[in-house]
Amino acid sequence: MVRTADKIEEEIQTVFSTDRPWITIVWDDPVNLMSYVTYVLMELFSFSKDKATELMLRIHNEGKAVVSTGSREEMERDVARLHEFGLQATLQRDDQGL
Amino acid sequence: MTKDSTQGFRRHGSDSYIADFAENERVVLLNLAEQIIELLAERIDHAQEDPLAAMVGITSNDSPPADEVLQRLLPNAYTDDVDAAEFRRYTEATLSSKKKTHAMAMRIHLKGAHDGTVDLDRESARAWLGALNDIRLALGVRLSVAGQSREDLELLAPDDPMRGMYAVYGWLGWLQESLIFALMDE
Repeated sequence: MVRTADKIEEEIQTVFSTDRPWITIVWDDPVNLMSYVTYVLMELFSFSKDKATELMLRIHNEGKAVVSTGSREEMERDVARLHEFGLQATLQRDDQGL
Repeated sequence: MTKDSTQGFRRHGSDSYIADFAENERVVLLNLAEQIIELLAERIDHAQEDPLAAMVGITSNDSPPADEVLQRLLPNAYTDDVDAAEFRRYTEATLSSKKKTHAMAMRIHLKGAHDGTVDLDRESARAWLGALNDIRLALGVRLSVAGQSREDLELLAPDDPMRGMYAVYGWLGWLQESLIFALMDE
């Protein structure tokens, strides 16, 4: 199999990009109660009440907030747990910008 | 003797969260929990599953549900459609079964609560919170699907069927919040 320089370059990029952090974003939702969002963030991420409240307010006021960062696998786990409790969450690579 | 309308959940001791429900309240909650269980089952029935794949939690579902309520209960994990489909194929069955477990916990407690009293430990209380939230998400979708804003809903005619749904939706939010405050009171 012949590999072009471009192809090799792309593979190197892929290898490096897997080390880049991923982020979990929680999106604002008209149904979820503010107290509920705060409680879920405290429970799932062991945040203090202050920290969870601050994040909840950011979600509410700005429409979204990053609640965790890490590897893609870790963020997939976080999103799955957030979905279990009904929060609107997605993950993406950190460099995509918000 | 039937109980009065519930005062919501209260914490009792270190691992007990109690609410007393009137019979009509108990029946409404039971019906709603059962509707969520049925809705999730419909989605699973539609996935023509390979038994081996099903065993390890993989479904043939890789596109979001057509039903808007199911879309909200089983949302995409990625904004990118290709990544979302891949993730859904491997995780949707697990997510759906967790939601079913929450609703089942609520159903079992309500079925057993002949005197209207529900007494939950912390783990069951968390399951109830998840189930109550799923019910509210489902009702929220149905209410907004009708194109109504909160102001519109509050001004509905007394005989409008949507008015009843909106009243239940509001009551569930109040009940859910009483459980959240009981859980946070530690």
